[in-house]
Amino acid sequence: MLAVKVSTVLGSKTAALNVKLAQALSSGSKGSVINNQELKFDADSATYFLDSFPENFDVGKYTFVFEILLDESAQEKLYITEAQTKIPIAATGAISIENAEIAVLDGDVGSVESQKKLDLTKDGAVSLSANHLQKLRLSYQLNTPLGHVFKPHQAFLKLKHESQVEHIFLVKTSGKKSELVLDFLGLVEKLYYLSGKYEIQLTIGDASMENSLLSNIGHIELDLPERPEKAAQPPVQPTDPYSRYGPKAEISHIFRVPEKLPAKQLSLVFLGLIVLPFIAFLIGLTRLGVNIKSFPSSVGAATSALLFHGGIGAVLNIKALSLLGVFLSFVGHSTLSHLASASNKLKSA
Amino acid sequence: EANMMNLSRSVALISLFLLPLLSFSFSVDNPTDRRVLVLLDDLSLKSSHSIFFSTLKSRGFDLDFKLADDSKLALQRYGQYLYDGLIIFAPSTERFGGALDSKSIADFVDSGRDLILSADTSASDLIRGIALECGVDFDEDSSAMVIDHSSFSLSDGDHTLIAADDLVKSDVILGKTKIEAPVLFRGVAHSLNPTNNLVLKVLSASPSAYSANPSSKLSSPPQLTGSAISLVSVMQARNNARVVISGSLQLFSDRLFRSGVQKAGSPNKYEKSGNEQFATELSKWVFHERGHLKAGSLVHHRVGETDEPAIYRIKDDLEFSVEILEWSGRSWEPYVADDLQVQFYMMSPYVLKTLSTDKKGMFHTSFKVPDVYGVFQFKVEYEKLGYTTLSLSKQIPVRPYRHNEYERFIPTAYPYYGACFTTMAGFFVFSFVYLYHK
Repeated sequence: MLAVKVSTVLGSKTAALNVKLAQALSSGSKGSVINNQELKFDADSATYFLDSFPENFDVGKYTFVFEILLDESAQEKLYITEAQTKIPIAATGAISIENAEIAVLDGDVGSVESQKKLDLTKDGAVSLSANHLQKLRLSYQLNTPLGHVFKPHQAFLKLKHESQVEHIFLVKTSGKKSELVLDFLGLVEKLYYLSGKYEIQLTIGDASMENSLLSNIGHIELDLPERPEKAAQPPVQPTDPYSRYGPKAEISHIFRVPEKLPAKQLSLVFLGLIVLPFIAFLIGLTRLGVNIKSFPSSVGAATSALLFHGGIGAVLNIKALSLLGVFLSFVGHSTLSHLASASNKLKSA
Repeated sequence: EANMMNLSRSVALISLFLLPLLSFSFSVDNPTDRRVLVLLDDLSLKSSHSIFFSTLKSRGFDLDFKLADDSKLALQRYGQYLYDGLIIFAPSTERFGGALDSKSIADFVDSGRDLILSADTSASDLIRGIALECGVDFDEDSSAMVIDHSSFSLSDGDHTLIAADDLVKSDVILGKTKIEAPVLFRGVAHSLNPTNNLVLKVLSASPSAYSANPSSKLSSPPQLTGSAISLVSVMQARNNARVVISGSLQLFSDRLFRSGVQKAGSPNKYEKSGNEQFATELSKWVFHERGHLKAGSLVHHRVGETDEPAIYRIKDDLEFSVEILEWSGRSWEPYVADDLQVQFYMMSPYVLKTLSTDKKGMFHTSFKVPDVYGVFQFKVEYEKLGYTTLSLSKQIPVRPYRHNEYERFIPTAYPYYGACFTTMAGFFVFSFVYLYHK
C-alpha cells in the first residue's frame, strides 16, 4: 500500500486536497505503468493512500510523480509549492531463481564435460576440476514475480584461491537468462598462473530484490601451466591481525654440556693403583733392611741435617720456592760436606 | 644596547605567555589529549553531530570548532603545538585555510598527536591524500558508495545504509561492553595496504558488500568487494600516535545515533543503533584514554642480592623485574597481562621468557645467564593489538669464569694427584734412607 502525507511548509496539517499519482515511470521501460490514479484520503491517519497497484506493476526502480490540486471546496489563500513532485521509489519483491547450473566445458568444441545443477538458496558442495584449455559456464534465470527477466545491479562470481587471492567476474544478463563463461585459456595470466583449489562464490543483489543472496557454490580444482619468469606476481595478501601480535615462543639457552668424566669409583681405583708402587717401595726398603744409623749425632750436624730434609719437604710443597732454594743449597752443602769428610775419615782411618 | 634589552624583555614575555599553553597539553605523565581542533566544512555539523561533541566535552576535552577554510587556521605557534588532537569532519574540502595542509597534518601525527578523519559519500582529493599517508586507500571512483544487498538497514530503500556488525575483537579499542546493535554506515569504502602492519580494520563490510555507484549499472567488476572493504579503520603509528579513519561522516551524526536498526534478514530489532557506543569507545581509544602503557623501573640482580651488579658471570642465576602501568583516563593503574616477555639479547635472543605478574603492576622472572660471554641487553618488546608499543632495553655485560672460579680437585684427577704425591713422598723417604743407611 502506498501512503502519502502532505503538509504545509512549516509541517502543519493542510486543508482538503486532491492528491493524484500522475505517473509511475519505470527506470527500465518507457511509458508509465500508472496514470492519473487518484489517492483516497484517510481522515484517521491524515494520509492519502493507494491500496492496490495494477497488475503489471513489477519489481524495479520507479520515479513516482505526484500532483497536488486544491479541492474545489478549499479557500483561495492556499498555494502549492510544486506542480509535480518526483520521488524515487524502489518496488521490491522476491525474485525467482531458476535453472541454475554450473558446468565445465571442453575447449573450442564447447561440449559439456561435467555439469551440476545448483540450489542457490543455500551453500553447496560442488566439486569440479578443469585445466587451462577448458571453460567454466555458470547460468541461471532471474524472473520478477510477473515473469519478466530481471537484471540485478550486483551479480558477481568470485573465485578465491587457497592463498587468499581473489578474482571477481560479472555475470551478464541478456535475453532470457544470465550467463557467465570463463575461458581459462585467456584468463591464465589474470589468475597469476596459480593452480590449485579455488572456492566459488556467487553474489546476486539489487535494491528491488528482497531475496538477495550470497551462495558458496563449492570449489573448482584448476590446473594451469607453470608461471613464466616475466609474469606478474600475485598481490601480497594481508596478514591476520590477531596472529600478528601474539607472544613469541620461549627460548631457553642450551648450556654447553661438560665433557663426560669417568665415574668417581674408577678414579679412586686408579688412585689406589698409583699408590701401590709407593707402598711396595716402602715394603721393599724394610725387606732390604735399610736403616738410618749413620744419622749424625753431633748437634750442629744433626740440626743442619734436619733442616736439610725439612727443606726438601718444603720444596716438595712448592711454596716459597726461590728462598728455599737458596737456603737449601747452603744447608745441603754443609751437611753433605760433613758427611763426605766423615766418610773420608773412615776411609783414611 | 637598549634594543638588546627590549628584545630580551619581549622574549621573556612571550615565554611567560607560552607557559600556560604548555601546561594544558598532554604530557608523559598525563597522556590523554586535552585540546582538540575540530575542522568542519559546514558549521551546521555542530548541531547535526551534537551528541558526539557533547560526549567529548563531558569527558573533559576542550573542543575548538573552526571552518576548514578559515584563513587563521594553525596547528603550531612559535614551534609549539596548540592542540593535542585533530578531528577533520570536512569531507568535501579541497584546500584547508591558513597554515594547514596535508604535510602539516602529517607532521602533526608524526609528533605523536592523534587524528580522527572522516570522509562521507564524497571525499575530496585532500582527504584522500591524508588517508593515503596513513595507509588507507579510498575507492578511486568518486561516485561509488558502499552497497550491500544482504546487510543493509531495513529502513533504507537503496541498500546503501549498511548495518555492519563485523567489529574487530578488541576490548581495548571498543571497550569491554559488547556492542549488541549493528552500526549504521552510509559512505565510501576504503581498503588497507596489505603490507602495512600499523593499520587495522575496526568495522569491516560483509562478504556481499561492494563499492559502486548505486544509480548506474556496473560495466566491470568493482575494485573493492567483500570483507576487504573496511568501513572504519585505525592506525597506531610507531610513535604511538593514533588515527581513526571513517568512510562515513553520517556514522557520527545524531540521526544515526538515535536511530533504531533492523538488519535485513535478521529478526532482531534494536531500539538504538550501536553507533553512539561505537563512536564513544573509539574516541576514548584514539585520544589515549585507554590502552596507553608506561614502563617504570627495569630492575635486575643476582638471586639473593638486591643491588644491580655491573657485570654478570656466565651461569649466574639472576632475577629480572619491570613495572608496567596502564593509563585509565585519570590515573596510572597496574597493568595486568600474561603475555609480557623479556629477552636476553645479543644480536639474537639467547633467552626469551614470559613474565609472571603479581597483578600489582610488577612483572618478574628468573633465569640462568647463558654460557656465552659478551655484552647483552635485557629487552622488553611488547606489541599487543590496540595497546601502545613498549620498547625497553638495558645493557649488561657478561664475563667468563675467572681463573679461580673453575672446579677444583676433580675426582677424575685423583690418580694424578696420587702419582704426584707418592713421588714426592718416595723422594723424601729415599733421601733419608740413602744418606743414612749403613
